[in-house]
Amino acid sequence: MEIRRHVGAWLAACGLAAGAVLPWTAAAQTNGVTPTTITIGVFGPISGPASYIGLAGRDGAALAFKEINAAGGVNGRKIQIVFEDDAHSPARAVAAVRKLVEQDKVFMLMSVGGSNATAGTIDYVKDSGVPMFVSIASAPGVTYPFQRTMFRGGTTETARYGELYAEYLATQYKGKRIAILSGREEYPRNEGDATAQKLKEWFNLEPVGRFEFNIGDKDFTPQLTGAQRANADVIAFFGNPAEAGIAIRQARDLGLAQPFFVGANMVDPAVVAAAKGAAEGVAGFALVPMLPGSRLPEIQKWEATWKKEYPNAPPARPNVFDVMAYADAYVVAEGLKRAGPNPTADGLIKGLESIQNYRVGPIATPRTFSTKHHIGNLTLVPMVVKDGNWDPLPWQGTHPSDVLKRYP
Amino acid sequence: MNVRSAIGAIGVVALVFVASAFGTYPTYLLSLAMINVIAAVGLNLLIGNSGQISLCHSSFMAVGAYVSALLTARLGLPFWAAIPVGAAAAAGIGALLGLPARRLSGIYLALATLGFLQIVQIAIEEFADVTGGVRGLTIPKARVVASAAPMSAFALFCVVLVSCAFSIWVARNLLRSRLGREFNAVRQSPHAAQALGISVARVKLTAFALSSGYAGFAGGLFAIVVGFVDPNEFGIGAALRQLTFIVIGGIGSIVGSILGAVVLSALPELLRPVKEYNELVSALLLLAALLFMPHGLVMLWRRLLPTRLVATRESAA
Amino acid sequence: MPLTFYLQLAIAGVSVGAIYALVALAIVIPFKASGVLNFGQGEVATLGAYTALILTQSGLAYPVIALLVIVTGAVVGVIVERLLIRPIASAPPFTIVIATFAIGLAIKSAIQIHWGDTTFALAGPFGDDPVIVGGVRMNPTSLWIVFCTVAITLLLAAFFRFARTGKAMRAVAINPEAATLMGVRVNGIYRWAWAISATIGASAGLLVAPVVGINPEVGQLILRGLVAAVLGGFTSIQGAVVGGIVVGLLETFASITVGSTFKNLTPFIVLMLLLIFRPYGLFGARDVHRV
Repeated sequence: MEIRRHVGAWLAACGLAAGAVLPWTAAAQTNGVTPTTITIGVFGPISGPASYIGLAGRDGAALAFKEINAAGGVNGRKIQIVFEDDAHSPARAVAAVRKLVEQDKVFMLMSVGGSNATAGTIDYVKDSGVPMFVSIASAPGVTYPFQRTMFRGGTTETARYGELYAEYLATQYKGKRIAILSGREEYPRNEGDATAQKLKEWFNLEPVGRFEFNIGDKDFTPQLTGAQRANADVIAFFGNPAEAGIAIRQARDLGLAQPFFVGANMVDPAVVAAAKGAAEGVAGFALVPMLPGSRLPEIQKWEATWKKEYPNAPPARPNVFDVMAYADAYVVAEGLKRAGPNPTADGLIKGLESIQNYRVGPIATPRTFSTKHHIGNLTLVPMVVKDGNWDPLPWQGTHPSDVLKRYP
Repeated sequence: MNVRSAIGAIGVVALVFVASAFGTYPTYLLSLAMINVIAAVGLNLLIGNSGQISLCHSSFMAVGAYVSALLTARLGLPFWAAIPVGAAAAAGIGALLGLPARRLSGIYLALATLGFLQIVQIAIEEFADVTGGVRGLTIPKARVVASAAPMSAFALFCVVLVSCAFSIWVARNLLRSRLGREFNAVRQSPHAAQALGISVARVKLTAFALSSGYAGFAGGLFAIVVGFVDPNEFGIGAALRQLTFIVIGGIGSIVGSILGAVVLSALPELLRPVKEYNELVSALLLLAALLFMPHGLVMLWRRLLPTRLVATRESAA
Repeated sequence: MPLTFYLQLAIAGVSVGAIYALVALAIVIPFKASGVLNFGQGEVATLGAYTALILTQSGLAYPVIALLVIVTGAVVGVIVERLLIRPIASAPPFTIVIATFAIGLAIKSAIQIHWGDTTFALAGPFGDDPVIVGGVRMNPTSLWIVFCTVAITLLLAAFFRFARTGKAMRAVAINPEAATLMGVRVNGIYRWAWAISATIGASAGLLVAPVVGINPEVGQLILRGLVAAVLGGFTSIQGAVVGGIVVGLLETFASITVGSTFKNLTPFIVLMLLLIFRPYGLFGARDVHRV
């Protein structure tokens, strides 16, 4: 009896309240624009295991917007940022964008977060009509199928990694026996798969071995000896910098002579620091033309500016995500500029789509958009470890890319 | 209607008002909080009332989430059919785990459940064609029937609210029933229970199946509320977090599960102003709560409400 | 040639296993003494590694660093026990486990905020050039890890056998009330147990740092350490050590036989089989009551 009364009471309460409901409409108004400011909502992981991405993304973008504001802003308006943490979780990322769009009423969104977290927000952001610029995440859903309100900046399409890696591996090493070691996580696995696929498709090469390891592994003896026994000529390693450092050093310990090739997120000073002498000659592709911490004067100058703005940053900052987000913030500002004195979402989209080969300086790769595709960057820069530094290589891929063929 | 139910009803009205009037951000958060309540209630049935241990509760959420999502995506089943099937699947797998697990206890049981968690994680990754693997799975938007418009955030909230109320109601009745008393007996002394003729193995199995069913139910709801499933959301971190819900809330008490889940779901959002320090602050607050309220938030609740002076485990509220 | 290959793998397995053994020891000791499972044990190892980092950056020599890490470990263990564990000793069992987890999380977050997620390198005490014996190449740091693990185990065994505090700890583990009646100060024993456990944990972090680098994820070791501890029966020193070595070997050899997919699972599968047929582990005491 009591139980029935409880349920009755609760259902009655629901019905009552439901009758008083204010319907929520997906309104695409020009929120976030005042006569003097434009508000951009930025989100990414600043806590949890991926915080080195989000913190760098936030700080890099903030630095760029600060410089832009100091130079007068965009069409007379200063850019304001509201930043929210997504803790590298899609559930939290969805909460973050709902807050940014509905409570902070931002004009546009910028993601400096990871792939899965950003992928989780795509449905909501699409429905809301708010434009989103994705700087670092490689989630395919951002650019394919084509979404008019979404743009990708510094990171390139996964397929492109495969194209460039495969061409480099097939042409730059003595011999064609390639062993692929990849970690069981989204990014490394995709790199490994894309590379194997393009090796087959373009060069008719099968890897002599594909060995997987778990993220967080500390010992790669089984995989390395496997590659050795398969008589590989080069070892392509896709994982995290920590693992790459261990594996490269372990390979030398075990007496392996094969050169190493690493994926984009392992072109990082930490790998050199961990593997020490064994890292000499390791090659890889970077998402930026100059790695922070390397010896090129332009990046050193930029780092000095960064360090003045963030004097208390932890070691190993600024990192590559600082540079990417910095460059992308300038791209966003360029798009806003082209949107004219009365920016609307539509105006921003058209403004961004008109950008061709734009970059803030030699520390960034050029961005190009069109009305057919929103993939900003198709450039990866080859680098090699020399004297303990990552130096860019003058090599350029000559095989035409298949990536844009999907966007007729 | 006693004081507690009156509070419950008022709470529900307040929830619905907030969810409908302030945009979808609070609606979404409230939905997630209630999903956590369902999971916590299920876990408390297993740990608090039956005295078992589970470090893989989040894996059953994963089962529920993936099964119901795939039923909707591949077979076109609407969510209101897919989610119960997902929950049943989770309960079934929970029973399967319960079979070998019922002869274990303590640290051994904990590790067996940990091993199961690894198995589920690996299965998710290996069958990437089906589950999306490490890249995650986008969930098709929930619709009442396939031809209807997608449900709004508020509509989803109402679904979750009713589901949560239902789950609490079931748990309450369960604990007052004979099965509830059997749970209690097995928790307090398996030997005595066996001597009294209660099949301890059967009770443990039931407890596992039941709590997994709850988790699977929560998982299916999670999938449609968030719209995206990432295997990382169902790992050891999530399992430990759910354990924290019931420890902070109060072990063995349904009200404890509710309090713990709601407070700890709200915490990350409340800590947004602290930015990158939120994890550290969270951990310190957790520690403080454990030091000053080792028996859980439910003790505060019991002290504030005069209706019952002595709350026994059997009443579980 | 295949023999060298298998030997190589065995050495890798043993040295990885030695670290798991240390973590297992660090878990088993306070459990045996006070019944508390320390879920934050992984972070104690992380703390040890970062302490070594700070000390290295101050330019101290390895033996000095090792000593200071040990002392730091002991101090941290005592502080944690006194301030955080003792007050909730009478709480429901899970409260303590979650508390240790919260402590671990707090330590890890603080480290991450201050040092970021970078992996730092630490030089091993004997350089990096491999030692080659009969075609088998061994990393000197791995050998040092195995040596230290054996030394620590022997020290502990001697401590529990001969030292007064050690014997008192055994007494408390068996029956705290009787021990109190015999004049043992149980609170002091708990403090010792935590101090020793934290020392071992911190040392594990220091030892493994040259091999795997120093980053906030060092604490993931605890999961393997737990499996090792249970394999070994969870209540004995030699069990923890053997359990650790077995887990290390299982992982390494599973990698080449069943691939990395199931590599993580293999220790658990073995564990489950063991639990069905020998629930008290390889060395544990027979105190499982079938119901």
